[in-house]
Amino acid sequence: MSTIAEVSDVATTGFSREGVAVISRAHRETGASREARMRAWELFESLPMPQRTDEEWRRTDLRGLKLDRLRPTAGVEAAGVSPLSGLEEAGVENAAAQIALGPNAGVIVQRDAATILATLDAEVAAQGVIFTDLATAYREHADLVERYFMTQAVLPSMGKFQALHAAFWQGGSFLYVPRGVKVEAPFRAFSLISEPGAAVFSHTLVVLEEGAQAFVADAYRSPSQDVQSFASAVVELIVGQDARLRYVQVQDWGRDVWNFMTERAILGQDATLNSLHVTLGAKFSKSSIAAHLRGKNTLAEMLGIYFADGDQFFDHHTWQLHESPFGTSDLEFKGALKGNARSVYSGLIKVDEGAQKTDAYQQNRNLILSRTARADSIPNLEIAANDVRCTHGATVSQVEEEHLFYLQTRGLPRSEAQNLIVEGFFRPIIDRVPVEEIQHFLETAIARKVGI
Amino acid sequence: MSGRNGTGNTPMFEIDNLHAEIDGKEILKGVDLTVNQGEIHALMGPNGSGKSTLAYVIAGDPRYEVTEGSIRFKGEDILEWPPDERARKGLFLAFQYPTVIPGVSMANFLRMAVTNVRNARAEAAAAEGGSAQSITPREFRRLMREKMALLKMDDSFATRYLNEGFSGGEKKRAEILQMALLEPTMAVLDETDSGLDIDALKVVSEGVNNLSGPEVGMLLITHYQRLLNFIKPDFVHIMTEGRVVESGGPELAHELEAKGYEGLRASLAETSAS
Repeated sequence: MSTIAEVSDVATTGFSREGVAVISRAHRETGASREARMRAWELFESLPMPQRTDEEWRRTDLRGLKLDRLRPTAGVEAAGVSPLSGLEEAGVENAAAQIALGPNAGVIVQRDAATILATLDAEVAAQGVIFTDLATAYREHADLVERYFMTQAVLPSMGKFQALHAAFWQGGSFLYVPRGVKVEAPFRAFSLISEPGAAVFSHTLVVLEEGAQAFVADAYRSPSQDVQSFASAVVELIVGQDARLRYVQVQDWGRDVWNFMTERAILGQDATLNSLHVTLGAKFSKSSIAAHLRGKNTLAEMLGIYFADGDQFFDHHTWQLHESPFGTSDLEFKGALKGNARSVYSGLIKVDEGAQKTDAYQQNRNLILSRTARADSIPNLEIAANDVRCTHGATVSQVEEEHLFYLQTRGLPRSEAQNLIVEGFFRPIIDRVPVEEIQHFLETAIARKVGI
Repeated sequence: MSGRNGTGNTPMFEIDNLHAEIDGKEILKGVDLTVNQGEIHALMGPNGSGKSTLAYVIAGDPRYEVTEGSIRFKGEDILEWPPDERARKGLFLAFQYPTVIPGVSMANFLRMAVTNVRNARAEAAAAEGGSAQSITPREFRRLMREKMALLKMDDSFATRYLNEGFSGGEKKRAEILQMALLEPTMAVLDETDSGLDIDALKVVSEGVNNLSGPEVGMLLITHYQRLLNFIKPDFVHIMTEGRVVESGGPELAHELEAKGYEGLRASLAETSAS
């Protein structure tokens, strides 16, 4: 792990070639992986910052982000701190943490990208399942990791922030489930920030071989601090032929965090993906979520819940990419906004020429709870095949006075009535995630947000 | 005025010279009506006479502005109370058109309603030195099942979303179920009979009759005399153009049935002319 000497040269590095070198050394990298980082750094330097003239960034203001004040090497400094210390102040009592630490097949907890807890159920391990922090996986299963890590799902060349991630990634988890192995209990990864001003790069790489089944839950959590922090997550989900993956992500960062998340799932023939993204925290959160329905006869269910308050800004972009025939995608993102919060949802259903018999559905609904909150919703279709069914819809609405009045006439105070209506708004999505613990978490999180 | 209030006690529910408007248009133009404990009153009148407006104003609908007059419940002026406070104090309105709220399960909603109303009642009783218990979840489930059985409602009702996909009759039954669970001391039923077939009407009437008793006042708003075959009112009032223009006993409803609103108006005019 890190040495005193390394720690001393960290303070001056920031986002720089030297910073990349420090992280690479801390991971004891050699050869290919070190070179990949350097190439990514060069790519980052050569790419322009996203501009508001780019469609994906048109409604997103990056001017408040101060990259030069962040410390991407905070995890290197933090390594070696005694395991589990700092968990409490980072909010392990918090509901988001319960998502990460409930019943499980394996748990990885990382603070400022440094691994402080890693477990894997022995019986699950005996079936050939690998679940470990990504750096360890890179050393111990190099062939496997190199085949998938930022080579198929998310590429460094995708954009400025993806390149930065490829250069500075530190934490993260790797799950590999061999052919035919089915694991019921969730694999949980919990990423937290404790150092003010840290830039944290967590990475989720999931590979399910043919016929495998798994449930992965990622939770991001930090206390709110005064200094701007930065989180860059990349999620790569490789769902093999006839495999099934349930993926749940809960983003509950503190209000100082600027969060950038890029997720790409690739579905093989007859594969199923059920994903749920819950966005609650951060000051600024941009999520880019795509499913490639690459094999024939795939099913992608993509659900999202977001609830913004205060001056939070949430931006969700989704892609349902139908690349083969007989694919079904079913996307439903719902958001509530209060205070001065703003959200952008933009979703594209894209059907390639050969993807006949596609059945794609996309829905985004927004509930506005204050006069000053605002939601924009931009659904899009791009269809090159002629025998498909594609439906999409978007709404932005307010709580109806008539509903509040009716509930009040039954004795519910106005605030309780509003809470019930908001929960009712999200209920159809909650009901679609047949995991009691997640349902309970969502109910609690929504009630907490309504009460803020 | 109606009401057998000769004892000198404060009437339970008293509307006095009530004026109310919506969007600057006056609908109620001086309503007077008194309901005492244990009395069932029927309020009849043609469409557009202001019956439903009166019901909404009693419940505290914020769309309406009361410009004059008062509503007193157990001696207290309720006009400044928000709708939920009125409910917790024992007022209930069965809506003519109950609202559909997606995603909110009946059971969850009913539990919250019952908890709020019963807790308020328990607190009020405790303040007066009495004892009324707040309800446990187990008691609530038992009570809900019992009341649903009385109203011949299927168990699946509880898991459905509030009024979503309910037929007209189911919505009305759900309103009566709420009334049965909340046990109000003053209930206003707005056209609860409309849209019901005869079987549903019997079930709903039974629900109403079960609640009625010496402690409870009721105001049945209805367009037709039909409901009054099942629920016997002590008093009948006729409302036209925002005022109660005639009050009497049950015979008034029969007269109305025989003559219609036009005929009744003509004979009233004749009576007052002679």
